[in-house]
Amino acid sequence: MLLCISAPDHPRALWEELLDALDAVSPLVDDVRPGLAFLDMRGIAGTPPEWMARTRAILAPLKVPLRLGAGDTKIAARAAAHFNDGTVCAAGRARALLAPLPLALVDVDRDTAERLRLLGIDRLGDLARLPHGPFVRRFGPQAARWHALANGIDRTPFVPRGHAVAIEAALFGEGRADDEAQVFFALRMLLARIATDLERCGKRAGTLALDLELEDAHTHRFEIPLASPTAQERAMLDVVRAKLEGVTFPAAIVGLRVRAGGLEEGGEALPLITGDDFDPQIVAVTIARLEAVLGATVRRARTRPAHVLEERFEYDRFEAPQRTAVAAPPAPELSEAIVPQLRLLTVAEIAVQVRRGEPAFVGDPPQAVLECAGPWRIELDGFPGEPLARDEYDVVIEDGRRCRIYHQGPHWYLRGLYD
Amino acid sequence: MAPLAPFPEPSPARREAFAALKAGLNQSAGAVPRLAAETVIPSAISTLDRALGGGFPRGALVTLEGNAGRWSLAARLLAQVTRGALAAIVDDGGLYPPGLVRAGVRLDRVLIAPATTALATARAADILLRSRACRLVLMSAPDLRAAVWSRLATLAHRAGVLLIAVVARAAAPLAAAATLRLDCALERLIFHGTRGLWCTFSGYQISMRVRKHQRAGGAAPAHARVRAATALDGAVERERTVTREPSSAFENYAHATVH
Repeated sequence: MLLCISAPDHPRALWEELLDALDAVSPLVDDVRPGLAFLDMRGIAGTPPEWMARTRAILAPLKVPLRLGAGDTKIAARAAAHFNDGTVCAAGRARALLAPLPLALVDVDRDTAERLRLLGIDRLGDLARLPHGPFVRRFGPQAARWHALANGIDRTPFVPRGHAVAIEAALFGEGRADDEAQVFFALRMLLARIATDLERCGKRAGTLALDLELEDAHTHRFEIPLASPTAQERAMLDVVRAKLEGVTFPAAIVGLRVRAGGLEEGGEALPLITGDDFDPQIVAVTIARLEAVLGATVRRARTRPAHVLEERFEYDRFEAPQRTAVAAPPAPELSEAIVPQLRLLTVAEIAVQVRRGEPAFVGDPPQAVLECAGPWRIELDGFPGEPLARDEYDVVIEDGRRCRIYHQGPHWYLRGLYD
Repeated sequence: MAPLAPFPEPSPARREAFAALKAGLNQSAGAVPRLAAETVIPSAISTLDRALGGGFPRGALVTLEGNAGRWSLAARLLAQVTRGALAAIVDDGGLYPPGLVRAGVRLDRVLIAPATTALATARAADILLRSRACRLVLMSAPDLRAAVWSRLATLAHRAGVLLIAVVARAAAPLAAAATLRLDCALERLIFHGTRGLWCTFSGYQISMRVRKHQRAGGAAPAHARVRAATALDGAVERERTVTREPSSAFENYAHATVH
């Protein structure tokens, strides 16, 4: 027997609190979406009305309006809750209970519901009476699920909710820290506690969230990703220390909280270490240190298909690849040819003289163009009034330099040099 | 005192052996001794590797100088290194990643640290070398004091990381700290197709001269020629020789800051 709890339109945090409280009713809770959950009550003593009474008593402190229903399947329990709060759907009665209910109960999308309404079908009973084959052929594969649900047949599996493990350590009210040595001493103590808790739970942390509370009542939060999830105190301290390098605070620190996130099951598959193996943890510390010093994100480039030169690549945050992936057998040998590299320059206007429709002299003082490739026209999404296309050229000038220039509107620009 | 007996004339066989030894020594004087395989990163360009004694030495500060092909050669080394390890680029904003991909670089193994000032570049290189996380660190050479270059060279040596500085002409502090100085010069440009829309600049022939090589017994007069070519099917290949020295007309254009 399943118990349906319907409590729509509540914040996620409150819903999570409610789900945590439901653990006292049943250990198996299926969190379908915020506002809808099912409890598996098999093997739990009592009758459905008793279970509902117990649920209401446990959730009473949250002051959340609820609708409860019980049934053999999810759709039966949900129909019972929707039909009337506290209803119990007996075995084999689901179809009859569903008949007067609206189509929205089986999650029919709005467009399809409108189409069905125009066809005179606005209750689940009408839907259940339609012939299965023609209905599915007309409304697509998802219609088969709607039809089955309207008939009280629900094969949706029960997916128990995982229990979130909160591993955190905090230090407040123990005085104030004015220099970094005191802060790192306290951090080391907190990370030792975190490491012990992680070890106890058999977990590794993928991220650390560090909250620093200052004497002037401000709080600074640092999200610290760990390249390779770990439970080692030393590794975590290295990364935190690197992240805080060069950071100054306007007031003394009076509180610290460290929370481990991105928890994974413990145990890391380590290959035999050789001299050339890189350690993801070292990479993480390096990235944190670089970001602290440079004040910019350490990046990784990605290419993508695009017409415009500047849109053919983008950057995202660097994440160390898996050690095993890097240590895999290397790719085949490269050929002897090397590929010319374009070096981008800040776009700047350049003097160009045109002869017979081609750039003939470039720069100031002008240098004759020896070779010219192009133009390649690129359409742009410009602002109103701006030219919507530009013509790009590769030119070789007298002194051997290879330039990428382009012509947009009445002006010429230098975009880069080949090297 | 009796006079010394005259020194006996060597036999013809001994004379021939001596002449052969002398000729052999003269011949090997200009050759670069081969370095141990585990101490070099080969560029996989046979002529260049021969000139360098097997490849670019690990744990060294190397300068790529000249007017053409420096970044192309650097991209080639990146491609070699990222086949089995991580590499890093201290980027002054001029990086064009699609070009690296065409050169065979695995971008997911390249850590890009944006640094637009000389100080930031030096600090980034310092951190990267100390960490030993990457096998190759590539940077444009900013104007730094001799002590900074010396420290970076020492760090590269300790970490066993190849630090490559790309520069038009190394200033005295960099030239002194560098283990290897390689000068790249443009010889010919290679085009495919005729002029205009049907023409593409596909590469060039560059010559590389080893100006200094501490690990291979000083400045070896070694040359290597690299011909880059990305042939298009059916396209006519043309070459053009450029004789004039590059001017400083474009030196004032700053590298782009791409974020």
